[in-house]
Amino acid sequence: MNRRTFWGFTLPSVFVMATLMVVPLVATIWLSMNQLFLRDINNPSFIGLDNYREVLGDEEFWAAARFTLVFVAITVPVQMLMGLGVALLLDTVERVRAIYLAALLLPFIVTPVVGTLIYKDLFDRGGLVAWLWEVISGDPFIVTASNVKWLIIVQAIWHVMPFAMVTFFAGLQTLPGSRVEAASIDGASYFRQLWHVTLPHLRVLILFVALVSIMDAYRVYDSVFVFAGSRFTEAHTLQVYTVEVAVDPQIGRVGKGNAIGVLNVIGIFVVLIPFLVISYKDQIRERH
Amino acid sequence: MADVQLEKINKIYPNGFHAVHDLTLDLADGEFLVLVGPSGCGKSTALRMVAGLEEISGGDLMIGDRRVNDVEPRDRDIAMVFQNYALYPQMSVRDNIGFPLRLKKVEKKARKQQENQAAGILELMEQMDKKPATLSGGQRQRVAMGRAIVRRPSLFLMDEPLSNLDAKLRVQMRAEISGIQRDLGVTTIYVTHDQVEAMTMGDRVAVLKDGHLQQVSDPETLYAEPANVFVAAFIGSPSMNLTEGVVSADGDNYKVTMGDQTVGLSASFVESRPALSGYLDKPVIVGFRPEDLEDAALMPGHPADQRLKATVGIREALGAETLIHFSINSTAVDSGDPDALDELGDDSETRCTARFSPKTKVKRGEEIDISIVSDAMHFFDRQTHLAIR
Ligand SMILES: Nc1ncnc2c1ncn2[C@@H]1O[C@H](COP(=O)(O)OP(=O)(O)OP(=O)(O)O)[C@@H](O)[C@H]1O
Ligand SMILES: [Mg+2]
Repeated sequence: MNRRTFWGFTLPSVFVMATLMVVPLVATIWLSMNQLFLRDINNPSFIGLDNYREVLGDEEFWAAARFTLVFVAITVPVQMLMGLGVALLLDTVERVRAIYLAALLLPFIVTPVVGTLIYKDLFDRGGLVAWLWEVISGDPFIVTASNVKWLIIVQAIWHVMPFAMVTFFAGLQTLPGSRVEAASIDGASYFRQLWHVTLPHLRVLILFVALVSIMDAYRVYDSVFVFAGSRFTEAHTLQVYTVEVAVDPQIGRVGKGNAIGVLNVIGIFVVLIPFLVISYKDQIRERH
Repeated sequence: MADVQLEKINKIYPNGFHAVHDLTLDLADGEFLVLVGPSGCGKSTALRMVAGLEEISGGDLMIGDRRVNDVEPRDRDIAMVFQNYALYPQMSVRDNIGFPLRLKKVEKKARKQQENQAAGILELMEQMDKKPATLSGGQRQRVAMGRAIVRRPSLFLMDEPLSNLDAKLRVQMRAEISGIQRDLGVTTIYVTHDQVEAMTMGDRVAVLKDGHLQQVSDPETLYAEPANVFVAAFIGSPSMNLTEGVVSADGDNYKVTMGDQTVGLSASFVESRPALSGYLDKPVIVGFRPEDLEDAALMPGHPADQRLKATVGIREALGAETLIHFSINSTAVDSGDPDALDELGDDSETRCTARFSPKTKVKRGEEIDISIVSDAMHFFDRQTHLAIR
């Protein structure tokens, strides 16, 4: 291939990558080193790493980071396990599978904010869960600083589980039946079959769902916004905190906001490292 | 090791399809039984019921003296080899072979020894650490065999284990599987649609058609005394020529007439088939194998009344033999084998095949005499298709 054809083929995608990824990233890093206010957006002044120093000394940042990590650590595994369980159950359904599938996918299909609002309705006065709570415990249900985090976590699991489920379900459809049958003849119980046949078959998808779910969970915003708003700042996640710092009309510190953004990118990357390593090793192994 | 009995086994699928009808088979301990039949006849269904992968709709299945209808596959003490091998892709060859032992919690050292022994029998020692994806089809087949033999089950089940291999390897593995089975003495049910495999491997062969057992016997009997038209046509390659004819007697002289061909039958032959006398002067189905035909020019001593007259059609020289195609003008017979090529043209002619010695000099289009061993002919009832004996 000569140089011209090479660039002819690669330049368009390099260009798109550059404009969509490299430019914003570089811009973010640049802005994060400036003192810049929303109300005076045309006057950046370079201050080096001061924004970072400030963020890292900010208790609110650390609280948001802690809750974000807790949120990821709980929602991702729970939602993946539930997704796997439901996919396995759905796989045993023989009639009207499509109806079950559609019903199970619903939480994932609705617009996140709408989903959150529907979910929130359950806990509002007159909502089903609030009513049940009142019937059982005798007290009215109130959203408090201590249970709002759990509301957010449960909502996230309800909302994202269908993604894991449908991905695993698709994977199960490609599992050769004879392999499962061979294992059952070789003496494997249901859980042994799951462990030695089904899960290895789904391995790549499990990694994939884990990667996507972690990234997705790390960026949780809508539900925190709807549930906690500005009432329960202890349930703020990094995204909410970032937006508050950067675009709140009163605060509007764009430079500091970008510094948090950069830290977020680094944070996600660190969390993802083990999965990236496994996935890389898998690919290397497949080539041999 | 165990004897196995299928007693009026039936399979009705949930959609109502009756795939296996009253299948009764008795396997002696150590016997190699081949289930053969055209595609869709229910062989796999029958085997899968024995394995426990498919529920038995009716009848009794005995392995040893245990009724196992409701026993889980893993508790039936069986091993199965699948057509696509069904190896575990993430495990090495060693782990694949040792998997059943691992599940039985066989202690590591003993396990390793048994794995090595199985691998030794199948010449897999070099491959032990490889993953299945890196093996050839034949090697994968061996791993699947290894996994089956490693734990010495009381019954082997094999569903077309060789059909994904190329022809040469198939012949080699055929012999190898037979050898291993004989050495281990494990009762085996082997499913194939290839009648050559069936004939060469089986102690006995069970022929199945549309879920009904047609005949079960040793290969020689199956070939020499097919119970009906279907078995006659299915066993043997090229298959038996089948046409309509009439047997008639003129005193002690018997003859069979097929269209304008007449062939004499010896009195001793007719006497050996007492039922035939009930069919005199009535249309019957006549069968004769290609190997019972020969170029009359090469058989000077052959009785003059045991001859067909024919025009040579296509001629296939195969080296050890030469196949000659010709037609006779009597009504063709449908054997009921769905895999058989549909006869072209009308039914008033029967296309026949003859297997000549390669010394034959006949040419395409030539009018020739074909000598026929009439004592080897077969007769079947026109309605029931059952053999007349
Ligand atoms: N799950 C099922 N539900 C309904 N009918 C089925 C099912 N499985 C198989 N059949 C039907 O049962 C019949 C026997 O199928 P089976 O797989 O036993 O055939 P086979 O003899 O093994 O054929 P082949 O040589 O092609 O493997 C076929 O007509 C098939 O269509
Ligand atoms: Mg089959």
